[in-house]
Amino acid sequence: MPEPDDLKRLGDRLDEARRREAADVKPSAPSPLGIAFRFATEMVSALVVGGALGWGIDWLFGTRPVFLIVFFVLGAAAGIRNAVSAAKEINARATRANEDGKEQ
Amino acid sequence: MQMHPMEQFRVTPLVPLHIAGYDVSFTNQSLVMCAIVAAVSLFMALAVKKDRLVPTRSQSIAELSYEFVGNMIESTSGKAGYRFFPFVFAIFMFVLLSNFFGLIPGVFTVTSQIAVNFALAILVVLTVVVTGFMVHGIGFLKLFVPNAPWYLLWLLIPIEIISFLTRPISLSVRLFANMLAGHTMLNVFGGFVIALAGLGGVASALSIAPMFMIVAVMALEFLVAFLQAYVFAMLTCIYLNEALHLHDHH
Repeated sequence: MPEPDDLKRLGDRLDEARRREAADVKPSAPSPLGIAFRFATEMVSALVVGGALGWGIDWLFGTRPVFLIVFFVLGAAAGIRNAVSAAKEINARATRANEDGKEQ
Repeated sequence: MQMHPMEQFRVTPLVPLHIAGYDVSFTNQSLVMCAIVAAVSLFMALAVKKDRLVPTRSQSIAELSYEFVGNMIESTSGKAGYRFFPFVFAIFMFVLLSNFFGLIPGVFTVTSQIAVNFALAILVVLTVVVTGFMVHGIGFLKLFVPNAPWYLLWLLIPIEIISFLTRPISLSVRLFANMLAGHTMLNVFGGFVIALAGLGGVASALSIAPMFMIVAVMALEFLVAFLQAYVFAMLTCIYLNEALHLHDHH
């Protein structure tokens, strides 16, 4: 029958080992290819959504190509906004990974 | 046997079935999806059946994947996100196993079909919208109102809405494009090996070069298979976090 103290000590040692382990395998910033893919899909899909929305509105009201043009431009803006927030998020994650690495 | 590199993505009906004019045939894709769901369920159930204090190898894998998803949720949306654990875990395991099953030669890659990915992505976004309205009521619409002077809002709100509608598309296209590109590349290099070997003489000896390339690409594909499942689940968590906390990162 193990003493509660023994168990507690084992628990502490396990925790410490886990922390050491976590520092080693912590995923840092994603690979450059992944980042490139992320930006590309954000940008392209925003353009597609913008274009589709504009085309749909034009189709509803028979105003082609007014809304198609307007929403295509809005889509481009949304794409840039998405790409910027993706970049911010990737940076934040990379910084967090770095800081975690330094603590150990 | 020469095959077109895109032939591997063809959906073929195994059990033709038509209900009310809709084609609901049981296809090779349905078969692989059933196999994936059965594999995940069986593995998770059997791995933790004994529930040992010192885990066996399979129990370790089950616990690791559980903790992996748990950490992912906690790091993005905190304790409040845990109520979505089953949802995120199911999505992560399904995408991961789809990607890995696809790497077995001859097995259909479910995630190379935009229809599957888009259905998953739509499910995620609908969950986000429903959660948002349940937690914040009509205040959820504030998600579309950025911190900006009022005279710019007429321009920024449509942009925010488009940006939100982009999510299911970018989520599904990213996974689809990665899988499609990788598997096509493997197939093309495989075609090179056959074509070079068939030429005879020195060219036959050269067929070893694309063979090495296949090995390298295969290794990369294993990484991509995991990474894309991770990205899909991670973005699901990030979107759910926004619905829960309306934390705008503008």
